[in-house]
Amino acid sequence: MAFDSARYILLQALQSLKRNIWLSLASVLTVTISLILLGSAVLFLANTAQVAKTFESQLEIAVFLEKDYSREQLSDLQKQLERMEGVASVVLTTREQAVWQFEETMGSDSLLEDLGGINPFPDKFTITATDATLVEGIANKIMAIEGVSKVRYGQGILEKLINFTHWLRWVGITVVAAFSFASLLLISLSIKTNVNSRAKEIQIMRLVGASNAFIRWPFLIEGLIIGLTGALVAILVVGLGYSWLLQYIVTTLAFIPVVANQQFIINVLLLMLLSGMAMGAVASLLSVRAYLKF
Amino acid sequence: MIKLKNVSKIYPNGARALLNIDLEIDKGEFVFLVGPSGAGKSTLIKLLYREEIATRGQVIIDNINLMRLKPREVPLVRRNIGVVFQDFKLLPNKTVFENVAFAQQVLGKNKKTVKENTLRTLELVGLDRKMASFPSQLSGGEQQRVCVARALVNRPKILIADEPTGNLDMENALGIMELLDQINKMGTTVVMATHALHIVDMMKKRVVRVEAGRIVEDSKGEASTIGI
Repeated sequence: MAFDSARYILLQALQSLKRNIWLSLASVLTVTISLILLGSAVLFLANTAQVAKTFESQLEIAVFLEKDYSREQLSDLQKQLERMEGVASVVLTTREQAVWQFEETMGSDSLLEDLGGINPFPDKFTITATDATLVEGIANKIMAIEGVSKVRYGQGILEKLINFTHWLRWVGITVVAAFSFASLLLISLSIKTNVNSRAKEIQIMRLVGASNAFIRWPFLIEGLIIGLTGALVAILVVGLGYSWLLQYIVTTLAFIPVVANQQFIINVLLLMLLSGMAMGAVASLLSVRAYLKF
Repeated sequence: MIKLKNVSKIYPNGARALLNIDLEIDKGEFVFLVGPSGAGKSTLIKLLYREEIATRGQVIIDNINLMRLKPREVPLVRRNIGVVFQDFKLLPNKTVFENVAFAQQVLGKNKKTVKENTLRTLELVGLDRKMASFPSQLSGGEQQRVCVARALVNRPKILIADEPTGNLDMENALGIMELLDQINKMGTTVVMATHALHIVDMMKKRVVRVEAGRIVEDSKGEASTIGI
């Protein structure tokens, strides 16, 4: 009996998809479009986040020291800086290294002699922070350390950059939220039309004493099939589209840091698949529910 | 079989459809509900298959108090009640056979039983030769027979008919009445709401007249006729 019911329910779902082919196709198309929007939005968010993160990670604090320090003192100071909260890395450039670097840039090898044997460069630490918003605080603390003469961290530009990346993230999140909402709305509307067109069928099922569960099943399966089909098409479009876009950006706009992590892209496509099926099923259940009140 | 005790139905919009109705219908009876449009016949009928719930009073069908029914128990009660409508309510994209089989399939019956019951019932209503037709290919009378077959196929104890002859010409209407009488003689309790007083007169069954939400006349115990 259970087998007969399952078989009947499945046949019923497939048959109604076939008999209402245009409505079914319209629903599938809606799911596809919605999920393309959603998938693209998620990828957009990931990429804006990546761009923001790359920009921020390039923020550095340059710490110049006052006087001659011995190797041991420099090493102690480096350890002290490394222990500070929010500090990600500390790189030391000694006065000697600074001269070599400068010589290299200038293409000269006798800079020190030209300057009369006096090295004008101070020792310098280059510090990166774990988070861009911590940069200013760290810089201020370092300034208070004895022996530090100057701290540079792109004052003025820093705030603008943080504002910009903050804004970029919010745009990404808003786009994803808006598109998720829009796709849910589109899918439920489309499936609701589908269910409404069969109000009579539901009414008759109820009259002859079909249980609510029995009435729901075919619609649930239909919703799942519509969601699945729509999602597969959307995955194909987004997957191919994104890989084409990646190729284009990597070859022509290489300075933009894109998200090319295979696992991440697969996860996004899986997310699309699951949300398509979930939205199809939920929309079906909600639409049928309206007819199942006793 | 059917017992209504002091039943009132007031719709949420304030319309008082039924007021203090007392009605008892025994097993195997054939009862006509008559009265003008808007008198409450349809509401009374809907209370019987629990499409509506009484505002006050008790509705007891086959010893089950519908007022105390949990929503998930409603389908079980409906399986004992067949309903026939004026507008047939057939599924247009299913054949005659499928329309009747549908009523059993949704109860999870197995394929063999469904086929046997459907054929037997279509034979009973005289449509076994048209089982592959779609409703649009049938006359009104034939469509109503399909509807009766669908209501009967699960062998309900009660058959409820709301204006079953309302959309039919005289000849077809008489055919349906003959069928309902035959079904009644096989032991099914029949309750039929109708405007067709000539049919009521001819059938000589119990008549309950409803007016303005009250029972104003009940010929219980005598096979009554009413003047047209």
